[in-house]
Amino acid sequence: MKIPRLTTLASVAVLVVLALFPVIGVSLSWLNYLFSFFIYLALATMWNLLAGYTGLICLCPAAFVGLAGYAMAIGTWVGVPFQAGLIAGAAVAVLFALLISYPVFRMKGIYFAIGTLVLPEALKAWFSFWHPVGTAYQGGGAGYAVAGVAGITLGEKYWLALAIAAASILVVHIILRARLGLGLTAIRDNENTAASAGVNIFRLKLSSFLIAALIMGIAGAIYYIHNPRIQPTSGFNISWLLLPLMATVIGGEGIEEGPIIGAAIVTFLRFLLADYGAWSLFIQGIILVVVVVVMPQGIAGLLRQVGAYRFPLRLFQAAEAKIHKT
Amino acid sequence: MEDFLVGLAPPLIKGILLGGLYVVIALGLSLVFGVMKLINVAHGDLVILGSYFAWAIMGWLGIDPFLSLVVGVPLFFAFGFLVQKFIINRTFRISLDAALIACFGISIVVQSLCQVIWTPFNRSLLTDYRLLTFAVGPLTIQLRYLLDFIGGLAVMLAVREFLRRTYLGRAISAASQNEPVAERMGINPNRVYSFAFAIAMACAAVAGVLQGLTFSFSPTSGSPFLIISFGVIILGGLGSMAGTFIGGMVFGLTQTLGAYFSGGSLLVQSIAPYLLVFVILSVRPQGIFGR
Amino acid sequence: MSETAVLSIDRVSKSFGGIVAVKDLSFEVQAGQILGLMGPNGAGKTTLLNIIAGTYSPSSGRVNFCGRDVTGLPAHKLCHLGIARTYQIPQPFTSLSARQNILVATKYGGKKAAGMEHDKIFDLVNLSEQKDMLARDLATVSLKRLELARALASNPTLILLDEIAAGSTDTELPRILGMIEEIRKMGKTVVLVEHVMKVMVEAVDRIIVIDKGEKIAEGTPDEVMKDEKVIAAYFG
Repeated sequence: MKIPRLTTLASVAVLVVLALFPVIGVSLSWLNYLFSFFIYLALATMWNLLAGYTGLICLCPAAFVGLAGYAMAIGTWVGVPFQAGLIAGAAVAVLFALLISYPVFRMKGIYFAIGTLVLPEALKAWFSFWHPVGTAYQGGGAGYAVAGVAGITLGEKYWLALAIAAASILVVHIILRARLGLGLTAIRDNENTAASAGVNIFRLKLSSFLIAALIMGIAGAIYYIHNPRIQPTSGFNISWLLLPLMATVIGGEGIEEGPIIGAAIVTFLRFLLADYGAWSLFIQGIILVVVVVVMPQGIAGLLRQVGAYRFPLRLFQAAEAKIHKT
Repeated sequence: MEDFLVGLAPPLIKGILLGGLYVVIALGLSLVFGVMKLINVAHGDLVILGSYFAWAIMGWLGIDPFLSLVVGVPLFFAFGFLVQKFIINRTFRISLDAALIACFGISIVVQSLCQVIWTPFNRSLLTDYRLLTFAVGPLTIQLRYLLDFIGGLAVMLAVREFLRRTYLGRAISAASQNEPVAERMGINPNRVYSFAFAIAMACAAVAGVLQGLTFSFSPTSGSPFLIISFGVIILGGLGSMAGTFIGGMVFGLTQTLGAYFSGGSLLVQSIAPYLLVFVILSVRPQGIFGR
Repeated sequence: MSETAVLSIDRVSKSFGGIVAVKDLSFEVQAGQILGLMGPNGAGKTTLLNIIAGTYSPSSGRVNFCGRDVTGLPAHKLCHLGIARTYQIPQPFTSLSARQNILVATKYGGKKAAGMEHDKIFDLVNLSEQKDMLARDLATVSLKRLELARALASNPTLILLDEIAAGSTDTELPRILGMIEEIRKMGKTVVLVEHVMKVMVEAVDRIIVIDKGEKIAEGTPDEVMKDEKVIAAYFG
């Protein structure tokens, strides 16, 4: 039997331990923190895939999250079970990404950023005046309570969130070691050269974009299962951009472990500042500006520069050598 | 037919006048984009900050918002200078993306600051003359829209003359057209950027007053203005004052005519500018007049 | 168009706004030939190269490659068909190593590129010692060679070289001439833009001289150098 690498074993071990938390009696508030952490992690990993590895500063995560959330919520209102609603949500997000991909990838650089910024704003406005399927709330705008989710335990929701977070990390891990990762890095570093080397720029950007839309959509839908009320100002909120952006910048853009570190810090900040209303956003904004000016490489970048990994890495490699010898 | 034209006149005129407001708002964004190739995504929020500032002064001292600009313009100028010098200039050494992210951070800071200080509720600059209308022949014109138009023209001409006639202005123009050459001629680009951003902020202060007179505003009102401003400058083409003015008009008309033809639908009014910007971006980002 | 022509440019023109960069240009390149493009600065040589490589589409006219009309096809498609190019100012993938840089071309350059041996390519361009260095850490001289390596890695039929000898010292120049000769021995067809006269005289089979976007002379190096129009274009 082939002995797997130490890093694989360690990752699986961590995953198993995390999965056992609801069963071994970890407190509900901790399950809550981790739930949020997993959602933010999934979003951050995908934002990092787009910005850090493909060179696409995408300002429309809120579009994917909001559309998926709404698709799921509307689904439950027409009698669809939430599991199917979740899949529907993901499908809607991906379809939307596909739909806008052709015009959006014609836009280069800053034009792409603004083009993607327009989308959630337009969707927010649209849903503020449009009632797709009756209405759960009075007044203008499509606000819905997600139906049929009252019976789901926190543990089950926790597992869903853990699943999407793990999936997002696995997906990026595989991409980076496959041909797609090489092509994306080439595009990020120099698009024209990549094209003359045979890279189909549009197709690769689209792949990245669709994968991100899918996973962000699922993460958003899972979030709205746990927080079962959706409105235009929440579904298409700027926070859905701020959170993964902050996590990526703080953690380290273009670095695989960056989003993990960043998401942990962002989750911590969010819960720390939860009682302070608008001050919470204010402080997060200040932190973002400070970090991007003072520490643009992020924490993971800093750790790499300082060589902080060298010692644990050597330990790791020694341990691995020992295991494979026996 | 005649009825149709008569009915069309008010939204047509209103749209053109409204264009003046969009020109003033877009001017600051255009200046920064032209000189630094940076889209300040906080620009809309900074204009709203200008509206809030005028509102605060009005409430505190009871003076007309235009008068408050005596304090507002220098204050915003200084603020802009400092922001560029200590934050954005530093991010340029890292990358253009870093600058964009910094601007986004500033956007969040400004939005949340406004919410903390002035709550999320809608405000308006309620001056006595705000709701005045007067008649020109068979047409009724609202004073505040006329002020927008005059303001748009005035600020645009002022900035244009400044760019042409003052040393600093010409330095800014030079840097926006060809930075390496400008640098070799002894112009310090970072200095130029700081002044350019400062001027952009000063324009934002003025835009804030005009905007506050025309519409009600809340801390999150900035985003639509950012998108419309961007649409104005890419429609009109960078570096073309006439183009910017026409761009402003197009967006003004999009809203008023959109409202007119849809029977006052708020949905159409809100979405129409976004759709327009998106289409322009996909088809011809360099604009109709652009180089 | 003749049977063995690898590349055929048929009355190609290109305008940018009001400026005509290339005007009604026609020529052919036979298989295995090395064609040089010469002309004063701003004559349109790089624009022409860009058109052949797919970065620009011509405003009018047709480009034929190996008997097939490829006018207006995007750069990556042309790479798959067998056209590769270098850039005058090296444009590497900065965060990747030299080896990874050419791996992109091998992996994405189409079926013909699969299985290209990197070590042989690095030997040819004399970059073997720097294989695993990051592109951003390489000197400009090495980067120019990396450009060539990357172009070769997709196993092209036609290679476009944009001023590959520019700025090279007296010791480097013979090596570059040697590399071009190696490429010829591999059976490849080359179109190169060059200002360095030694390359034009020693490495090239035929020359086309372009001035203000138009062809003013065509022939062997000897013929072209003595042509009055060419002398006038450069010194008149």
